[in-house]
Amino acid sequence: MEATIGLEVHVRLRTASKLFCGCSTDSSDAEPNANTCPICLGYPGSKPMVNKKAVEHGIRVAKALNCGLASMVRFSRKSYFYPDMPKNYQITQYEVPLAEGGYLTVNDDRIRIRRVHLEEDPARLVHVGGDITSSRYNLIDYNRSGVPLAEIVTEPDIGDTKEARLFLEKLGVMLDHLGVYDPHAEGSLRVDANVSVEGGSRVEVKNITGFRNVEKALNFEVVRQLSMSRMGIDVTRETRHFDSETGSTSSLRSKEQEEDYGYIIEPDLVRINLSPGWVEEIAATMPELPDQRTRRLVEQYGVSGFQADVIVNSGLEMSGFYEECCRLYGEAETVANWLVTYLLKSLNYMGLSLRESGVKPETFVELLTLIDEGVISERTAKELIKDYAASGESPRRIVEEKGLALMDMDELRAVVGEVVSENSKAVEDYLGGTGKASEYLLGQVLRRVKARADPNTVRKIIMDMLDSKGEYASVAQ
Amino acid sequence: MSMLEQAHRINQRYRAFNHVAESLEAEGGGRLAGFHVSVKDNVCVKGMPSTAGSKVLEGYTPPFDATVVAKCRLEGAAILGKTAQDEFGFGTFNVNTPYSIPLNPHDTGRSPGGSSGGAAVVTAVADFPHLAIAESTGGSISCPASFCGVVGVTPTYGRTSRWGLIDYANSLDKIGCMGKTVRDAALLLSVISGPDRYDSTVLHAPVEDYGAQAGEPVEGLRVGVPKEYFGEGVDQGVSDVVWGGVKRLEDQGAEVREVSLPFTRYSLSSYYIIAMAEASTNLAKYCGLRYGLQLPLVGSFDEYFSAVRSVGFGDEAKRRIILGTYARMAGYRDAYYLKALKVRTRVIEDFRRVYRDVDVLAAPTMPVVAPRFDEIADMEPIQHYMMDILTVAPNLAGVPMVSVPCGESHGMPVGLHIMADYLGEGDMIRAATAAEAS
Repeated sequence: MEATIGLEVHVRLRTASKLFCGCSTDSSDAEPNANTCPICLGYPGSKPMVNKKAVEHGIRVAKALNCGLASMVRFSRKSYFYPDMPKNYQITQYEVPLAEGGYLTVNDDRIRIRRVHLEEDPARLVHVGGDITSSRYNLIDYNRSGVPLAEIVTEPDIGDTKEARLFLEKLGVMLDHLGVYDPHAEGSLRVDANVSVEGGSRVEVKNITGFRNVEKALNFEVVRQLSMSRMGIDVTRETRHFDSETGSTSSLRSKEQEEDYGYIIEPDLVRINLSPGWVEEIAATMPELPDQRTRRLVEQYGVSGFQADVIVNSGLEMSGFYEECCRLYGEAETVANWLVTYLLKSLNYMGLSLRESGVKPETFVELLTLIDEGVISERTAKELIKDYAASGESPRRIVEEKGLALMDMDELRAVVGEVVSENSKAVEDYLGGTGKASEYLLGQVLRRVKARADPNTVRKIIMDMLDSKGEYASVAQ
Repeated sequence: MSMLEQAHRINQRYRAFNHVAESLEAEGGGRLAGFHVSVKDNVCVKGMPSTAGSKVLEGYTPPFDATVVAKCRLEGAAILGKTAQDEFGFGTFNVNTPYSIPLNPHDTGRSPGGSSGGAAVVTAVADFPHLAIAESTGGSISCPASFCGVVGVTPTYGRTSRWGLIDYANSLDKIGCMGKTVRDAALLLSVISGPDRYDSTVLHAPVEDYGAQAGEPVEGLRVGVPKEYFGEGVDQGVSDVVWGGVKRLEDQGAEVREVSLPFTRYSLSSYYIIAMAEASTNLAKYCGLRYGLQLPLVGSFDEYFSAVRSVGFGDEAKRRIILGTYARMAGYRDAYYLKALKVRTRVIEDFRRVYRDVDVLAAPTMPVVAPRFDEIADMEPIQHYMMDILTVAPNLAGVPMVSVPCGESHGMPVGLHIMADYLGEGDMIRAATAAEAS
């Protein structure tokens, strides 16, 4: 184990309104500070009200992470001064979190979940003309203020950067299946990571956005701490900031400067009892979770466990995409082969999600049909899929535009005829007994027809043509 | 003379307002038709400056009405203005404010009490149909009502919505009301009580017509007299007058008996710890960024926030922020904040137990009559806090109470405190009318 890592994952819960007021959470097209009211701006005299949907989402998350639920929901005030905090305290859960003591399995390892709790998101700070340390001033957008978050805290069970990434990917897919989270919304998943290496103190890296940045930040931090300890320098306890531009972390404050949050019970909110009836109702309507879906794909479609796992953990959209393709196309294993081996590879290479690529079940099935109909070769299909993944355009149209369809026999014979007549030396060699000269001719033809012909078919035409020349020659003698 | 001219005249003589309305607007009829309602400055009135008596909210005009204000408007009341108070309710004599320090109409050399001082003064002197919205955290309605000789009602915690109340200590704050008579105050109480979706802590129990309870017979009503409330520190003259009030209840057929509330002696410290802990978080939002006092934007945000707060808060607010923050810091939290919550539970149990045997409790509201301003100037903060000794326990427990004038001592009014069980406002109003000095 190269490091000890624990994560605090803040997940933006997908609700129509904010955690404590009726303002919309969807600010994708909104002007800054448009989705605000006296409550999420912390105006004097305003009071919070709890969004029931957010609590229900929290219960779903807790259940899916195998946690034990509290008997009631109770909120606390976490006090610290920061310009993104409308009240200079955050309403969160402290004494009694929503849920405790769960786990998520990653490659047969159980990563234990310490707690899951609900809290409000602060406003968004825009660092004008620089970053957190260099900008001259900040603008504040309170559209985000009060958006519901679930904070998921792991035990320090993660042994390396790769495992951290896998954990987050699995968690993201699970949340997506639960319908509580929008993986495409900006900042929908933010992570604070606690990292230590053997002999060193725990360092907290704050506010990392997105899976890739988490991996970058952890890589940087693990390497930094390992090199320090190799050089005999103490790794001291501190909080660090991750800069996604440079991929590096820098010190924000040392342990001595740590905030004392002075938690008190939020006196404006009464406790909400989680009655067994309510919890059962939510549990009964829980959607299928990723692990269940993986098992079902194996049973229902006969794909391998590996393929099912890859498909499911590529996201909710990908699993849905796969099943829809199976419905349209019928041969589930063929779909799985092409999807896992070629489509996913292309998408990953280009860093595109299914949604971004514009790839649709209808068009993907079209590609497979083109192979079946003998319009294109498998080799062409493997090439074509790259263009298709990048553009999402209809494969049939790409085939037409680029002239990728297989040649018919007459066209092919004409090309072979040309090549044979242009390479009389090779023909002579062949007729003279040098068998491999036919392979040279095959290469020449394939270069000319590219992937528009099956090599075996071409070879057969060449052999037929050469053999008939041989017969003619022997008659002439 | 118009109502507004009268309000300005009251203000000139007694400095009772932080803001007098520009015009009086009342819509249609209703239970409060013809009444002018003054509103304590910490209760938001849309379009009217609302500072809660603090410089840090200078120039702040709320964009919404408090629920209680909206309810008054719906019943046909005109809003007269915003009454003077201690900054955020931090005080017993209404001297802790950079704005109006109101004068007691019975002797302008004396304090009208606090923190709802302005409300009590206007109620005492208005010779037109007037009712006051006031607010209590630890006794801020009872105290000025007692000192000014008016009726001050503090309802059960949660009986009235706190939406629109600029918070002091949310788990203790109660919006209540004042009137010249119990009947008047009961009328306003009926109007402002009841459920509200904007306050999660509000109670959903149906609202009685409290006015109809005024004057109902008290025969057979069980009245408890807690022995701890007549002990050391309570002025003998005050005590005598209060006993006179109790006697009136007895004469009308109430059954008077002595009871004990032993945890009252711990309630003062528990109250101040909880109130200050909550207050210190409530006051964090005032930093000159979104509303209220602003200064030139210089330095880092920490420096700016500190500058605004140094200028904006008075000494008592700063004292409570510091003490309240201390009480909830890691390492002290268990010993102070959490311990205070436990003591509060015991105080609640005290009241619950005693209400098994009696319907209401009767005691002096304040241990003394209104002190002179020169006496107040010589008092230490702890002596200020000690003034609340008789009012904090029922406030901590959240039971309803009313201070009703029951006579005079040293030429100043004395209040009798009637405290009832949770949602026992009906019994409380009945007892208060019977005890009211005619």
